[in-house]
Amino acid sequence: MGRLLLVARLAARDLRRRPAEAALLLLAIAAATTTLTLGLVMHGVAGDPYQRTREATSGPDIVASVALNPFTGAAADPAPLEDLAGADGVTAGSGPFPVAGSEIEVGGQTADVQLIGRSVEPADVDQPAVTDGDWLRDGAVVVEAAFAGALGIEAGDTVTLDGETVEVAGVAVTAAMTPYPWSNCLVLCAPFRDDDGEGEGAAGGGPARPEPQVESLTDPGLVWVMEDELTAFASSPDALSYVTYLQLDDPDSAQAFADARQPQGPGDEDKPFLEPWQHIVEQVTHVERNAQRVLLTGGWLLGILAVASVAVLVGGRMADQTRRVGLLKAVGGTPALVAAVLLAEYVVVALVASAAGLVGGRLAAPAITDRAAGLLGGAAAPSLTAGAVLTVTAVALGVAVLATFVPAIRAARTSTVAALNESARPPRRVGWLVALSSRLPVVLLIALRVAGRRPRRALLGVASVTVTVSGLVAALAAHAELDAQLAANPDPRMERLGDVLVVITVTLVALAAVNTVVSTWATVLDVRHASAVTRALGATPAQLSAGLSLAQVVPAFAGAVLGSIGGPLLYDAVDQEDVVMPPGWWLVAVVAGVVVAVSVLTLVPARLAARRPVAPILQAETA
Amino acid sequence: MTTAEPRLALATRGLTKTYGDGESLVRAVDAVDLEVARGETVAVMGPSGCGKSTLLHLVGGLDRPSSGEIDLAGRRIDRLGERALARLRRTDVGFVFQAFHLMDELTVVENVELPALLAGHSPRRARARAMALLDRVGVEHKAGSLPTALSGGQRQRVAVARALSNEPVLVLADEPTGNLDSAATLDVLRLFEELHESGQTLVIVTHDERIAATADRLITMRDGAFVDETRLTGGTSGRLGALAGFES
Amino acid sequence: MQQEVVLALLAKEPSHGYQLRARLRQALGPVGEAMNAGQVYVVLTRLEKAGLVTTERPERPNPAKTAKDPADRKTYVLTPQGQQRVAEWLTEVSWPKPDLAEFHLKLVAAAAAGLADPLGIVDTQRRELLRRLREAQRAAMAEPDGSDAALLLEGIVLRLQADLRWLEACERSWTTRRSTS
Ligand SMILES: Nc1ncnc2c1ncn2[C@@H]1O[C@H](COP(=O)(O)OP(=O)(O)OP(=O)(O)O)[C@@H](O)[C@H]1O
Ligand SMILES: [Mg+2]
Repeated sequence: MGRLLLVARLAARDLRRRPAEAALLLLAIAAATTTLTLGLVMHGVAGDPYQRTREATSGPDIVASVALNPFTGAAADPAPLEDLAGADGVTAGSGPFPVAGSEIEVGGQTADVQLIGRSVEPADVDQPAVTDGDWLRDGAVVVEAAFAGALGIEAGDTVTLDGETVEVAGVAVTAAMTPYPWSNCLVLCAPFRDDDGEGEGAAGGGPARPEPQVESLTDPGLVWVMEDELTAFASSPDALSYVTYLQLDDPDSAQAFADARQPQGPGDEDKPFLEPWQHIVEQVTHVERNAQRVLLTGGWLLGILAVASVAVLVGGRMADQTRRVGLLKAVGGTPALVAAVLLAEYVVVALVASAAGLVGGRLAAPAITDRAAGLLGGAAAPSLTAGAVLTVTAVALGVAVLATFVPAIRAARTSTVAALNESARPPRRVGWLVALSSRLPVVLLIALRVAGRRPRRALLGVASVTVTVSGLVAALAAHAELDAQLAANPDPRMERLGDVLVVITVTLVALAAVNTVVSTWATVLDVRHASAVTRALGATPAQLSAGLSLAQVVPAFAGAVLGSIGGPLLYDAVDQEDVVMPPGWWLVAVVAGVVVAVSVLTLVPARLAARRPVAPILQAETA
Repeated sequence: MTTAEPRLALATRGLTKTYGDGESLVRAVDAVDLEVARGETVAVMGPSGCGKSTLLHLVGGLDRPSSGEIDLAGRRIDRLGERALARLRRTDVGFVFQAFHLMDELTVVENVELPALLAGHSPRRARARAMALLDRVGVEHKAGSLPTALSGGQRQRVAVARALSNEPVLVLADEPTGNLDSAATLDVLRLFEELHESGQTLVIVTHDERIAATADRLITMRDGAFVDETRLTGGTSGRLGALAGFES
Repeated sequence: MQQEVVLALLAKEPSHGYQLRARLRQALGPVGEAMNAGQVYVVLTRLEKAGLVTTERPERPNPAKTAKDPADRKTYVLTPQGQQRVAEWLTEVSWPKPDLAEFHLKLVAAAAAGLADPLGIVDTQRRELLRRLREAQRAAMAEPDGSDAALLLEGIVLRLQADLRWLEACERSWTTRRSTS
């Protein structure tokens, strides 16, 4: 008990003795854990959303539908669908459900919709998963998530379906249909969505047919209504389609199952049209795949940056601690006590930081998950899973343990005297850099020598800026392409992808900014003595602060150049399809912007360091 | 002495430096009048905390006085800005510290040439001058070594060479032998003697009576003020035999 | 000068008086400067009388040495008693005793009688010691490294330094006594 108290008291005293350093450590670990949380959330959202939705909604292996014959006008007959449910290999099914075309009006916007009549009871196959609000009830409808997102519909809103006002009970996702606006048509759709025929309706029949006789829909959204209320909302209640959802004992055989029963040509129109689930997956388009890649890549970039920032700070502090460990040993602490004190100190900081990081990440996560959910058509996006909490806490504690045991072991191995005598961490000597710098102006001389003392930190700085700038350039390029596509062809999901990109970019830049400040502080503390000597030898405060700043700017510049090469490559990797390289002047502007930003960020710490009185430092360093 | 060259290398009048205020006011340096002639070696002694280092920092432009005047080589420096003080340290003052304060990542010769580079001299000239100085202090054979590979005495010689880099008017040494043993102290003493003979003005703060005794003048400080001044120059008494107990 | 020193210098081999003197000069350096030429001979004569040393005349007088002092022609040799005396001297534990008590009592007495200011006495003494230290230190600086004399001078310097530190302590002590009384 007494020992515990002693450890706590020693740890508390040490933290209080260097509040700035403790705060900096806290900030760095918190920034890292926040970012890590965001990265994990993004991974959670992006990880194979369709598969997750399939599981969450008991997704069908086959979607079978019959529609009114557009050429004869004969009404659809649900009987063949019922027969299908009894076919070989079918293990479960739901439906047939009636489907009708309609028009929705909300907030002054109108759009075509397909209404599917469902019941309150959950179905065995394809029970849409509600992401907002509730499932169907009398007098209320449920809207597909991507469509709801595009029109800004939320649970509790009121919409108008074919002139009838109705409440929206909830918003849901399904695996039985590609999310809006790429939905397949169960009722008749306009045969061509655009010139290249990409949006050809699934039930739209073959080519070379006479013009259909019936009014058709364009890019319909999906709304579930109570089965008995369907006709009330339908624009042509006589022209119903029917849909049945089937599960097979072997989901992989869905294509074969469909091929064997597909309508073969004219005169076969009364046979149901079968869509295997693989077909729906294929329809997950370019945008979805890109969104997924963007989120995964962004998550990785953020993770790398987080690790880099912690490495800079903890690395510097660890070396510092070796000497302190020696001091504790010298006053009679056993190695175990010393390790306990260090551990107590770090664990407190790490726990506070990971808590802050989790809260920060949780607060920031909706900016991504809210956008990603509708975008990916995924089931309820995990905003912060237990796994993520555990991972983040484990990483923070891992940092604490590592930061404790490396110096503790190092100090235990070296003698007390050696640990005491060791100058905190002997600076490196990079001979050619020293020789080169002596030929340069004073400010550059100082900068290169400061950077050269800690080559690993400089490399981490280069890496950190490279990662950030790569992400930034890739995001900018993606934005440019999105803008170009949006101008040609407005698509709400493109806008959302743009928003996600902005969130990722802002996070990247914010973390890089924190990294820069942390690294500058670490450098400033590290070169306190060398700075004091340099000033005693006649360097002016302006020269020194410019030198300290420049010591960060030089690696940042290198990183920016590497990043502006790496960025397009990264973009290329994320989006293999239409690569539009950003114009050259952009890259120049990014590099220049990084240089200016880093100069500004390092200005304050560098100026403060350069104005600190020299005499006390030179006095204090007398061994 | 020509009229262009003032006789005094250093003069202070009423030099005062205080820390804190009210109850906790500390007069680290208290109304000190000091005159150091060109070529003179002055030692300052006194108990710990009497303000010796503070005095040295004030006259060397590392710190600014609370009040009083400082003339360095005929120029008022007590009201100079940071930038001007930095230039002054570069050109007119050389510091030698107890802890040497060499940069561990630079070789001996790189340490010595640093002030010249900071002063904007060409790298070639700075290097040549550094080698000459190392030769003068007798560690030219260690020019390419790192300071950590040198003995304490050698490190202090390197520090002295660095202090001389820009041909300062005044060399200020704060406990230059504080970290050295008796033999290494003798080494540094000899070096100071050589500097003295070459006309260098020196102000040395020390706890070591040996340094104090070899100076031209010894000043004793107490509580920030000068309390005693002894001029030790003059002929030898020739009584070394008696001192050794070797009486004839 | 102590007789034993001269005896011990003869222990290695029989020597002429001038050789002994040169050896002394070398070991003492500037410390031995005040030693006059006759001193060694005075000591040698005393030792001879005490039966610790005998002299041998060379069989053939060296023509080169004729101009010198007649004593120079003699070679001094240790007698068995002399050898014994040297052996005893080498094992003796003797050390010069600094008379600090006298100075200390001087201060006490001066203060008690009010005759003089102890601080003044200390100050005068300090200046004197500093002057001596200066002289010794300068002599030490002039010696080449590793010479016998340098070692002796270092001893002188360190002792003076110790004395000066004691004076500092005296000064501190008497300053506080004065301010508290
Ligand atoms: N930055 C400061 N703030 C407050 N007091 C200070 C500061 N620097 C020095 N002092 C005080 O000024 C006085 C003189 O300090 P200084 O370092 O000049 O003494 P010193 O004679 O060099 O001592 P030493 O022989 O131990 O080196 C001391 O009492 C010290 O506590
Ligand atoms: Mg001091």
